[in-house]
Amino acid sequence: MIRRIAYALALPLLLFGGWWVLSAGSESFYAPPLSEILTAFGNTWTLSALRSDVLPSLLRLLSGYLLAAVIGIGLGLAIGVNRRLRFTVEPVLELFRAVPPPVLVPVIMLFAGIGDGMKVIVIVFGCVWPVLLNTVEGVRAVDGVVLETARSYGVTGPARITRVILPSAGPQIAAGLRQALSIAIILMVISEMFAASNGLGFTIVQFQRSFAIPEMWSGIILLGLLGFALSLLFRLAERRALRWYEGLRAAQRRAG
Amino acid sequence: MTPVRRGNPAWLGHPAILGVAGLAGLLLVIQLLPTLGLVNDRHLPPTSAILAALADELGTGQFWISLKDTLVAWAWGVLIAVGAGVLAGLAIGSVPVLRELTASTVEFLRPIPSVALIPLAVLLYGTEIGSTLLLVCYAAFWQVLVQVLYGVADVDPVAEETARSYRFSAWARVRYVLWPTALPYVFTGVRLAASVALILAITAELVIGSPGLGKDIAVAQASEAVPTMYALIVVTGVLGVLINLLARFGERHLLGWHQSVRGEVIA
Amino acid sequence: MLEVTGLKKVYRSGNREVEALRDLTFTVDTGDLVCLVGPSGCGKTTLLRCISGLLEPTGGDVRVDGKAVSGPPPGMAVVFQEYGRSLFPWMSVRDNVELPLKQKKVARPRRAELVAEALDAVGLTGTESAYPWQLSGGMQQRVAIARAVAYEPRTLLMDEPFAAVDAQTRADLEDLVRALWQRLKVTVLFVTHDIDEAVYLGRRVVMLSSSPTVVQDELVIDLPAERDQLHTRADPRFVELRTHVYEQIQLAKKAAA
Repeated sequence: MIRRIAYALALPLLLFGGWWVLSAGSESFYAPPLSEILTAFGNTWTLSALRSDVLPSLLRLLSGYLLAAVIGIGLGLAIGVNRRLRFTVEPVLELFRAVPPPVLVPVIMLFAGIGDGMKVIVIVFGCVWPVLLNTVEGVRAVDGVVLETARSYGVTGPARITRVILPSAGPQIAAGLRQALSIAIILMVISEMFAASNGLGFTIVQFQRSFAIPEMWSGIILLGLLGFALSLLFRLAERRALRWYEGLRAAQRRAG
Repeated sequence: MTPVRRGNPAWLGHPAILGVAGLAGLLLVIQLLPTLGLVNDRHLPPTSAILAALADELGTGQFWISLKDTLVAWAWGVLIAVGAGVLAGLAIGSVPVLRELTASTVEFLRPIPSVALIPLAVLLYGTEIGSTLLLVCYAAFWQVLVQVLYGVADVDPVAEETARSYRFSAWARVRYVLWPTALPYVFTGVRLAASVALILAITAELVIGSPGLGKDIAVAQASEAVPTMYALIVVTGVLGVLINLLARFGERHLLGWHQSVRGEVIA
Repeated sequence: MLEVTGLKKVYRSGNREVEALRDLTFTVDTGDLVCLVGPSGCGKTTLLRCISGLLEPTGGDVRVDGKAVSGPPPGMAVVFQEYGRSLFPWMSVRDNVELPLKQKKVARPRRAELVAEALDAVGLTGTESAYPWQLSGGMQQRVAIARAVAYEPRTLLMDEPFAAVDAQTRADLEDLVRALWQRLKVTVLFVTHDIDEAVYLGRRVVMLSSSPTVVQDELVIDLPAERDQLHTRADPRFVELRTHVYEQIQLAKKAAA
């Protein structure tokens, strides 16, 4: 246990220490000493700054992400269970997914202006495709024996969806949700860089434009921590929800 | 059970026909929404206007220069990311101590959104192509690295022990055991990296203003050339689909022998 | 009572037609245990899917207790060959057994009772909160049987349920099926490719021909009702019956070749 913690911490500490030492006497304008960045971090990201800049970003991120998840899973179920519908819309969906999500920002600005609504819609539009396509794929791949068992035991209607199809497609849906999460963070930042009066992306760009370099670095670090924390939360939730899947896979590996 | 539909010729149900019908339907809806006045045509121009703008764009030299800029940044980014990712992955993966030491760092650095580096890129390279490249490389690198690490972890312990018992050198172990096992994962990594790289290339151009299709989209938006903006977005989408198809095609052809023995790693 | 009359199934794929079942007629009386046995690839599974209402036949009909089958009939439970895929891996053993009862709108206390009884009957008390994949293959098939038993079916269909378990587990499970059948008085149709298993289990054995399938022969197994692995299988009458079935199956294969 102690050994594992030591292994996990060794390299990060080393890197951090290296950065500290190497940058200590730095005269470079763009790479200020780490000590300065950390001081800036403490000064910049006070509680009130977190409330006025990070909280709005997070709220937009979460509402867009959750909306995209609900829409993506709902539509994905409908398309996944209907073969003809799936064949009809699949190329369209592939095209939409291939459009780099950030180019949606200028498009959606046309429709929804530059308010919170625009940012949420941008996140929804960017995140919905991986969720949707993965749900379709997961639903399509539900085992035939599973479906026949459900049918012959009278598991039909809503129970068929919630107790059989959704859990069975769960691992694939989770993969889509994971992809969507990183897209959501990117879009949150970019939509704020384009047009905003608050938010993390906006603040970092402001620092860069006013050449407040240590502050800018502290913003980058905060963004990194945020991305890390969200992906950690996601992993925890996923592990809880899909415990059966991890166990099944481990059992299959042992047998195989 | 699929019900048998009578009265429809069989070809009507063919996937390709349905797919084309779906795309045609999309074009039709985009044509009708603004012409019927359901959507303001300054927000969404009809298909015909977008296609006309697209034709115009294809006739300008600027478009082809931008396309080349985007593709050059994309190609270099993928190349650098794949090279660095494969080397780092094999090095880390083949030494257990390194694997344990780096696990936490990789887990920490990977989810850092690449766009966080935008301000840094601007400071370092301004609006040069280097800005684009920095973001593309960063984002694509992790895709490759993580897949290679999966691949190395997948090495059959029996094969590994066989190689050891015959006293293979470290190089031979990498060459004959590690690399062949990891190869399919490398391809998956390349495929993922290729699409992520395109997204980041266009994003960087759009936000930073480095030359390429992304910048043209930003310019079109600023000058309110809405149909042109849509036309360019369509181009980026088609580019994405093509890169995806190409990567899948290449993967299938180069790895035909391997597909049957492995399942896709969902990443 | 299960009646199969003139059952026919033709698969179509593109312009090709494959006749799987040609003309099948047989009945299983209420409370009887009938084994269907035939050479491999003779359309046993197709037949079973038609009877269970999962597949629409091309011609002929299937009646369960006098009612024509169109879609899975109520009061029928199926035990599939692929136990690993037929049990839902995202649910515990208890939830797997309980889900069909919930769908039948059985009240909660009664459900708990049925689940406990069924798991007890198959000797799995204590595994309620385990996941199926944590159990061995034989135990998983026991869970599938418990699910069928808890459903309180009048008719029980079993599709080569023991094809994928080892020989010793298989013997235990065969005795379990005999015991459950005697206790619950259900009508059982048991499909197998194993001739010994068919003769050991059944009160009657229906032999099928090679594909396209017809009924080759029927045989009443006049062995005593109390059977056990050791003595029944050594009984000269068992050997006679077994030889008869074996000959018929060989005949069927030859006719096909």
